[in-house]
Amino acid sequence: MSVPDPHPGTPYPGPPRDGAGPSDGLLSDATPAPGTVDDSWRRVSVISPLVRGWIALAAIAFFFGRDWFEGLFGPGAREGLPGALGIGLTIALILGIVVLIALGFLVSWYFTRYQVTAEYVRVNSGVLFRQNRQARLDRVQAIDVVQPFLARIFGLAELKFEVADAGESAVRLAFLRLTEAQQLRATILARASGASVAPDASGGIAEAPEREVVAVPSGRVIGAVLLSGTTVLLLAAVVVVATVTVVYRTPFAAPTLIPMALGVAGAYWSALNSGYNFRAALSPDGIRVRYGLLDTRAQTVPPGRVQAVGIDQPLLWRLKGWYRINANVAGYGAGAPGEGQARATLLPVGTRAEVFAILALVLPDPGTVRPLEVFSAGLDASGAAEGFTTAPRRARWLAPLTWRRSGFAVTGTALLVRSGFFHRRLAVVPHERTQSLSLHQGPLERALRVMELQLQTTPGPVAPSLSHIDETAALELFSGQARRAAEARRRSIPEQWMKPIQQPSGAVMPPPPSYGPPGAGFEPHEPPDPPQQDQGAPDSPPLVQGAPDQPPPDQGAPASPPLVQGAPDQPPPDQSPTDQLPPDQPNRQQIPEGPGSHEQR
Amino acid sequence: MRREPIDPEGIVWSRVSPKYLRVRLIGWFVGSVIYLLIFSIPLILRLAGVWPDFPPLAIAIALPAVVLLISAWRGLLLPRQVRALGYAERDDDLLIRSGVIFQRTLVVPYGRMQYVDVAVGPLERAFGLCTLKLHTASPATNAAIPGLPAAEGARLREQLSSRGEARLAGL
Repeated sequence: MSVPDPHPGTPYPGPPRDGAGPSDGLLSDATPAPGTVDDSWRRVSVISPLVRGWIALAAIAFFFGRDWFEGLFGPGAREGLPGALGIGLTIALILGIVVLIALGFLVSWYFTRYQVTAEYVRVNSGVLFRQNRQARLDRVQAIDVVQPFLARIFGLAELKFEVADAGESAVRLAFLRLTEAQQLRATILARASGASVAPDASGGIAEAPEREVVAVPSGRVIGAVLLSGTTVLLLAAVVVVATVTVVYRTPFAAPTLIPMALGVAGAYWSALNSGYNFRAALSPDGIRVRYGLLDTRAQTVPPGRVQAVGIDQPLLWRLKGWYRINANVAGYGAGAPGEGQARATLLPVGTRAEVFAILALVLPDPGTVRPLEVFSAGLDASGAAEGFTTAPRRARWLAPLTWRRSGFAVTGTALLVRSGFFHRRLAVVPHERTQSLSLHQGPLERALRVMELQLQTTPGPVAPSLSHIDETAALELFSGQARRAAEARRRSIPEQWMKPIQQPSGAVMPPPPSYGPPGAGFEPHEPPDPPQQDQGAPDSPPLVQGAPDQPPPDQGAPASPPLVQGAPDQPPPDQSPTDQLPPDQPNRQQIPEGPGSHEQR
Repeated sequence: MRREPIDPEGIVWSRVSPKYLRVRLIGWFVGSVIYLLIFSIPLILRLAGVWPDFPPLAIAIALPAVVLLISAWRGLLLPRQVRALGYAERDDDLLIRSGVIFQRTLVVPYGRMQYVDVAVGPLERAFGLCTLKLHTASPATNAAIPGLPAAEGARLREQLSSRGEARLAGL
């Protein structure tokens, strides 16, 4: 492993370079030698300046081209036909500028190098102002491999390494060859996971195996786009404009539709582009999500990185029984409305079965024995069914429509917050992911003896908040939740999600399940021996494996201590003897079976 | 201070320094005077005859009057607001409460803490106070304790840091 460049002024840091010029870079790029992602300093693909700079080039071409073109037909065109010298000069000028810009990109490309070591990823960039950046691998929150349209043509991809500062990507490598980017992702994930990889893995680190869980058909994406709120707005606008036109007999209202149509088309396009060909898969490295029509994106969110999940159903989607799943992931941040939203989407439009499949990925242990019923109640029921605590009747003065629906339920592992009368929402926050909790009470709420409880998570589309909950219930939830969060954190999976961890001396940990010796070698990056699917029982609900021995009826009761402890005590029922897992990862155990059995449906 | 419905049971709140009230009062006074001056401009111009009759006299008078009323109300509320501020250290988390009319109780687990700020403004320094702020990975966590005596602020900072370290849990 090499140390970071101690002299920020020196342009060529790191170990001896393998060449002196861009041509060498080209050469080394041309021979990516799959599997040799070692500690050496590398550059991104040499074509990337072209892909990144094409907008600048296109703009120049456009402006100069237009001037020249208009000049041909302008009034002065007859007498002042430029001589050969003039044309030559112009072309030379244009070419000069183009070359300068290309050179700029090329220089910036040349000075950008990256390195992946066992613990860090480092990027050195900048020409005049050098920047050396280093990010810890086990701090990874998500890795995206993005292919903008143009890069796709060249077979290139951009790799984004996200850490939890919610700002820009910690590391952006634009652009790498697609295979190289995937290779790098596999390496980073393998090293970040703490999995024991043979140090001389000259054969390269294979991508962790994955299994597809959900694939959204494109017809449904189009249908979902058409049934969105945008359509309602568009229809309303058309009606208004038509009315105005007819009533006042003036055509002047019609043109206002043009910008609106443009906006609507844009909204449709972005929804379609980000939902098209959507696939979610599960791998030991976490959830893999792929989508995109022109620009494609493959996101990997390692286990335990999803901070909160929001399931919602716009009014019109009830016709088809569709839902959407968003998630808060620390690295993605609030993001720009377009891209950020798409990145935070775990399911753009899906049926209820698919919702459960995704939920099983995000929350492998639901902490209840009747997860289907509980989550269904959260999705579209109202009232106190399945352990939900709703707003008291007196709250109807404050929330005449939603008081029956808005409520919460607590399972052993997560808090479910239900809200929305027309647009139904359900937020699921794992206990150990709660950043903080706050109770709020204004004068009206005080008069009605209700409170509002807010959960703060990392920035993202999900902002769980419970309104108009009875005072006693709210206080109980508040203190119970603080306690549960503390308890869940002690049990939560380690940051390096595959590292065989030592048994802590504290008494908090449940005794290790009796499969395999503790700390046994686990090599997830070996080719998979496919997890044993429960072919015989396609109906077994995927989430059920949490705590089979617990009594069913009170799973939602806010403070039922046995459930909090429940899951880890139970060895998963159908454990294949070949799986050797460290004792502390009951969750990883349960992932594969759930969605698998769903796939059978 | 009596227990509001929002306070969890069995919590003994540590209160902020009573001197913080003076800080708030000075700030309130300066702010009120500035607002009052700004909103008195129409009245002054009107009385000085610069603006002959554009803003009706009633409005010109009502503007500063309303501002005065709001300021007075806020001023009256200030002592109670300062008294409503409180914090409590528990084994696993820190509780912060605030507010008189719109009340709030916040709980931040130590393990969720990313860093702690101690900030001192000129007024606070004059009274030997400081403001302590906890940051979690969520920008929505608004966990600030103003008006701590400087020594208490330093102690709390060290305490929180060490507890946070002991219960460190990534994100």
